[in-house]
Amino acid sequence: MNVNFNKRDPVYVQVIRYFKEQIATGVFEPGQEILSRRELAGRLKINPNTAQRAYKEMEEAGLIYTERNLPSKITKDEHVLKSVRQELIMEAVDDFVHSVRSIDVPVDEVLDLVKEKYESTSDGEEVQND
Amino acid sequence: MIEVNGIKKKFGRKKVLKGVSFTAEKGEITCIIGINGVGKTTILNAIMNLTPLNGGEILIGGEKINKHSYEKITFIPDAIIMQPNMTIAESMQFMADFYDSWNQERAIELLDFFKLKEHEKINSLSKGNRAKVNLLLGLALDVDYLLMDEPFSGIDIFSREQIAEVFTSHLVEDRGVIITTHEIGDIEHLIDEVVLLDEGEVLKQFNSEEVRETEGKSVVDVMREVYQP
Amino acid sequence: MNRFAKLLNFELSRFMKLYLVLVAMTIIVQIAGVIVKTNEYMGRANQTIQEDGLSIAQFVEQYGAMSFLDFTRSLWFMGPIAICAAALIFYIFMIWYRDWFGKNTFIYRLLMLPTARLNVYFAKATSIVLMVLGLISVQLIILPLENTIFKSMLPVNFRVDMTIDRIIDWNYLSMLIPQTFIEFVLYYGAGFMAVLILFTAVLFERSFKWKGILLGIGYIAISGIVMLSPVLSMVFLNHYYLYPLESLGLQIVLGIIVTAMSIWLSNYLLNKKVTV
Repeated sequence: MNVNFNKRDPVYVQVIRYFKEQIATGVFEPGQEILSRRELAGRLKINPNTAQRAYKEMEEAGLIYTERNLPSKITKDEHVLKSVRQELIMEAVDDFVHSVRSIDVPVDEVLDLVKEKYESTSDGEEVQND
Repeated sequence: MIEVNGIKKKFGRKKVLKGVSFTAEKGEITCIIGINGVGKTTILNAIMNLTPLNGGEILIGGEKINKHSYEKITFIPDAIIMQPNMTIAESMQFMADFYDSWNQERAIELLDFFKLKEHEKINSLSKGNRAKVNLLLGLALDVDYLLMDEPFSGIDIFSREQIAEVFTSHLVEDRGVIITTHEIGDIEHLIDEVVLLDEGEVLKQFNSEEVRETEGKSVVDVMREVYQP
Repeated sequence: MNRFAKLLNFELSRFMKLYLVLVAMTIIVQIAGVIVKTNEYMGRANQTIQEDGLSIAQFVEQYGAMSFLDFTRSLWFMGPIAICAAALIFYIFMIWYRDWFGKNTFIYRLLMLPTARLNVYFAKATSIVLMVLGLISVQLIILPLENTIFKSMLPVNFRVDMTIDRIIDWNYLSMLIPQTFIEFVLYYGAGFMAVLILFTAVLFERSFKWKGILLGIGYIAISGIVMLSPVLSMVFLNHYYLYPLESLGLQIVLGIIVTAMSIWLSNYLLNKKVTV
């Protein structure tokens, strides 16, 4: 677990984002136990109060849930899981569109390029992820 | 809570602290940053009643410091504060002898965590390891508040990482921590409160996460604004 | 064990190595001294008797028999005592300064102990007094031994035998080794007071640095004047008001006042003024 935090966004927001990414890509599976807030703080070298805040927000958003005194788990709620994926995709697309629009490229040209690039690099990325 | 109320300190004619006020809560890490000049260490010394003040007062949990306070608050200075010819085990025994709040289990856990060897003499240790012994002797006390003077300065990167790890672990959790530093560096994400000090005055106190959230600024951004207006 | 006892034990053990060196040095030098001195005497006796053709009785008559006191007045005997005394007087200061100076400023730890700071002060003072008593005990133990060696080194008609009591009595040793309990209390009470006065001066210096040196010296001077005031007033007024016993009583009262003053001041300085 290694996250490069930037220094200007709230750390708890960045932690939540990291969790969403892991959920969307399936690294964190539905129902999977997650680290305690203390373990998380240690692993990410962040303030334990910040880890606490992130967990609290995620709990409220239904991303994670806690039963009695057991460790918290990733939600099994299909609806939430789907929306996390949707949200990340939309964010990425928004960013992309924003930067492409700023250099004024026709949308067809961009789409072709995206397709080409995406197919040629996907194998390589798979290997890297392993 | 530790309340520092308008403390003043002169060394000869030089005013080192000109009415410094701030608070530090239990369960939070408060970082006193001063990019130049003295004063940071003096504040910690003053909280521990290790140096007299020329004005102001300091309350720890609403009380003025007294001999019983040293079971509730401890100070880890920049230099090691044991007899250098003692072994680590002997220093631990010394602490166990004098402090009711000494927690031997935690001491042994820390020994293991820092990979220190009990039989080694303090004066034979590297600077990084001395800093760790220093930390061990302070952290193994069941105190509410820990003061640390420049815990990250002058030691190797791996020791620094290890010490940073301690801050996020259960070894520190729920206690109030005050640390001083002249360089915020890689601990920006570790701290809660920031107290910016300059020329013996507090220029600003803020919560680091809050300033990121509400103003989208890093601690260094705020420092830049405050120190170089 | 309470914290004072632990502190005392700690202070003693910190100086123990050097202290044992002092003890060993005293024993070795003094015993060597007995042997050297008696040999010297016998050498001179043999030479003189041979060269001048004297009888033993004539030699003793002319040059005197050797007594143990001849040895105790030599450097062999007094040297180690002087060195021990100097070392301990030096240590009265070092017992404090060693905690401030050097890389490892142990004073932080001492001042942050969860006990009255005065305990640190008393532990240091008590350890000095105990070390003085210890050295004197060693001297008392080795005196008979030295006397025995002395006797075995010299034929009976060359020496004047003395008992240990008389050796002590006839000597400046009676200053160090009191003959009565009252003397013991008075001498060592005075010694303890002197240590506390010096400690207070050290704490003045540690609290106020340069100004503190003046304050410290001033405090020592004032204490001295107070202690000597009965004597001084009699000298200046050229009139003796008090009987010796009354004079002693007054001296004791003044001593107690100065001691109490030192403790009170030190307590104040340690808690309110001292700086690491």
